[in-house]
Amino acid sequence: MAMALEAGAQKARFTLSWSCMDSFATLNGELDRVNHCLDHALTICLFVDGRFGSFSTNLLQLETLGPFLQKAVSTVRMLAEDPCRDLPDPARTARDARTGRELGLLDPAYASINAARRLDLAGKAAIFPEMGNKELRSDTGMTYRLISEEGEYSDTLTDQLVIDSNGLRCRHTETAFEYGVETTIQDSEGRKYSGYWWDSSPLLERLDLRFLGRTAMERAAAQIAPENPESGKYNLVVDSECASRLVNPLLKALGGYSLQQRNSFLEGTLGTQVFSEGLTLVDRPRTPGRSGSKLFDSEGVATKEAPIIEGGIVRTYYINTYIARKMNTTATVEEALRPVLLPYLSPVLGERPSTLDRKAILEKVKNGILVTGFNGGNNNSSTGDFSYGIEGFLFEEGRITRPVREMLITGNFLTLWNHLLAAGDDARFCMSKLIPTLAFENVDFSS
Amino acid sequence: MKEKRLYLDTFRVDEPALDRLIEEGRREGGDYCDLFFEDTTWTDLLLRDGQVASGGFHVDHGVGIRVLQGEKTGYAYSERTELPLMLEAAKAASAISMSSAIRRPFRKAGLKTVRNEAPEMLSGFRIFPERMSFPDRYPFRADWRTEEARKFVPLLERLERLITAKDPRIVKVIVRMSSQVSDILQYNSFREMTFDTRPLASLAVSVIFSQGNVTENKSVSRSFRTGPEMLTEELLLEIAEDAVRGIDERFAAKRPEGGEMPVVMGSGASGILLHEAMGHAFEADFNRKGQSIFSDRVGQKVCDARISIVDDGTLPSNRGAVNYDDEGVPGQKTYMVREGVLRSYLHDRISARFYGVSPTGNGRRESFRYPPLPRMRATYMESGDADPAEIIASVKRGIYVDEFSNGQVQIGEGDFTFFVKSGSLIENGRLTRPVKDINIIGNGPRALADIAAVGNDLKIDEGAWTCGKGQSCPVSCGIPTVLVDHLIVGGE
Repeated sequence: MAMALEAGAQKARFTLSWSCMDSFATLNGELDRVNHCLDHALTICLFVDGRFGSFSTNLLQLETLGPFLQKAVSTVRMLAEDPCRDLPDPARTARDARTGRELGLLDPAYASINAARRLDLAGKAAIFPEMGNKELRSDTGMTYRLISEEGEYSDTLTDQLVIDSNGLRCRHTETAFEYGVETTIQDSEGRKYSGYWWDSSPLLERLDLRFLGRTAMERAAAQIAPENPESGKYNLVVDSECASRLVNPLLKALGGYSLQQRNSFLEGTLGTQVFSEGLTLVDRPRTPGRSGSKLFDSEGVATKEAPIIEGGIVRTYYINTYIARKMNTTATVEEALRPVLLPYLSPVLGERPSTLDRKAILEKVKNGILVTGFNGGNNNSSTGDFSYGIEGFLFEEGRITRPVREMLITGNFLTLWNHLLAAGDDARFCMSKLIPTLAFENVDFSS
Repeated sequence: MKEKRLYLDTFRVDEPALDRLIEEGRREGGDYCDLFFEDTTWTDLLLRDGQVASGGFHVDHGVGIRVLQGEKTGYAYSERTELPLMLEAAKAASAISMSSAIRRPFRKAGLKTVRNEAPEMLSGFRIFPERMSFPDRYPFRADWRTEEARKFVPLLERLERLITAKDPRIVKVIVRMSSQVSDILQYNSFREMTFDTRPLASLAVSVIFSQGNVTENKSVSRSFRTGPEMLTEELLLEIAEDAVRGIDERFAAKRPEGGEMPVVMGSGASGILLHEAMGHAFEADFNRKGQSIFSDRVGQKVCDARISIVDDGTLPSNRGAVNYDDEGVPGQKTYMVREGVLRSYLHDRISARFYGVSPTGNGRRESFRYPPLPRMRATYMESGDADPAEIIASVKRGIYVDEFSNGQVQIGEGDFTFFVKSGSLIENGRLTRPVKDINIIGNGPRALADIAAVGNDLKIDEGAWTCGKGQSCPVSCGIPTVLVDHLIVGGE
């Protein structure tokens, strides 16, 4: 910081990041890949003579950083003045992120994990040695063989320190333990299907390796012999595993850059009801011990629990210091870090049961298409129009009857979220966005 | 491609140190080790709200160390190139040898062992790059690293003015220029050394239009492996013209009725279809593991004899061009499908050894932080003999598409999707109503088999395409006008 100010910057922010990731991957139960990644990065925001520039380097020796900062300052001086650029008001910044450990996201067990332990963990979820290349039978009576299983265990320690020339000092430290399994099966007619399942946790003891391989294989086997219904309007139920795909475009549209560039279908909607009253989305970034929690954003601004959309009413735009000054409005935080979508059941579906998981929602909705995965697609950020490839299952009278694939859903997010029938209580805690099983009525499917 | 000394000095290493690292990597029994040194500087400038008020540069430096034992990979990297730190990384990579290697027998790929197009490279695992002789595929006159931002600011401002003057409905223009130059030094346990300097730059614009209560956006980009000499007046005029082309149609566009119908792919950017639907399934790692729908199909007829599909790393200044891939193998032109027959997968060293063929120069990686994988370069279909106008005239009811955004494929099943930003309905052989924001879904092998006509107008797209396969990689794509008889189109 002293070197940057000496080189001519009036203000500056430095973000120093350090991470270490080790992964052990298996192919068909045998060790296949070992990765060791150790990263350092220094990201530097410089405010020079009313101008702004952003720089980064992983060459952190002091003798290298001196010339780097001098060149950076002279580069900023070549850019146009921008009076909206500034550091955040110190009153808005986090003061409770001193050690980086406040949220309980650093597992002490990490320090004792060695290569032998990682090798042991990597092999634990593998089912290929037991099940590979044998004739197996799915829940629906279809025969198949497991022909490939890739598993990967990884653990990561990250440490981030943000300081600025106004006296900001924030630190965040966390561990992450993950295991993912991808299986490929072949049915009796030679067709291949793949299935993926995973778990993740900041704490090793919460990483559940049981059933990962089996679940991935069963997800693949359930897709055998798809038979698509005709194109038309169907009720749509989206599995919690992939439901965030329908929430992410809303969060992007609430972001300051989209709004300021007039590239958001939610422009001008703050404080107005534009969605179903059943949609309530809150940001809970300060929940201890949970993935996604963090006490400050990239500027060091303190996060807080806040409604994003409440009863269908847009409550928060995510606007940083720069965009707030450009839009002449009040700054919030850069983004929603840990959005949580709250349970809901439309009155047209009757009384809410004690548990509102996928099974209960299928029983309530009765007929439609359950989406368990998205395959490509996109949305228009200006209009909210979307079209996505999907795979999943037809369900009738609340029960899954057959797999479907190579189908498309098409619509507009404003319309879709005004047709919300249900939001479950089954979001997976391993995800940083807690989006449960969702149900919508009258969605266009093409087949 | 400059002198070896320059690269050794960049990373402050000498040849004995390289041998010492190889030795450490193989200490536990690995049968192959390679080193990938990278020093990359990239710069970016952003014009927003009429001024270039944001920019910067970034430095990434380090070495990736890979140890192979059979088909198994140990990988580690160091961001500093002092010998003790690199030796620690080599030791971490050698951990792959802590359990017995997977050593499957080499396999004949399909009917016969595949031979690729470079006869001097049929010696298997070792590729003797020092015997190669070919012109630099990305010569540049000036080096982005020594140019100052002040030189480019007026160019970005001029491009913004050119675009804004073309349409009163424009409310926002963002212009982004990014450039990077990488010095690469590679060395392996065969004592093969290659070195390369890779430029890559792109100029991209995003334009927001407003008409009444309706907002529309359009994005255009150009990307090349070359120096700042790419920034010509002609390029600015071309981008400005493209930025507003078809916007009237986009405002007027409606979603069509969905369902299965013939789809005509316009030439150029529609090549994303090849990349997603076929290219990924031809990558040899998916086939080696038995996951691809094209596993064990080399030598078989997979489509009409008029169709040849190529992955090419030799196109001058192309975004997907490579002098050497990221395993030190020379870039090549590889026929995946020739006259309807599946000829070759896209190989890295691991899969080439597995199949008993030469690597095809497709071992690529995002940076020294990643081990290489089989990745595409410039993927395109060669021209056929049909007149594009006659292809459209042959369709009674279908869709013509001319602009796509992202696509995706499921390797095992072969299902692919891609998103149509703009196109047109075809009714009775004529383009009638514009369409937009729909998805098209199909199955790779079926779509290949369903290609009914191939135009004579191959165009390689010059957009800034980036492939994601766990790690990003610059690629390009191309295609002539093509008719696919049956695809599913999303709609109302």
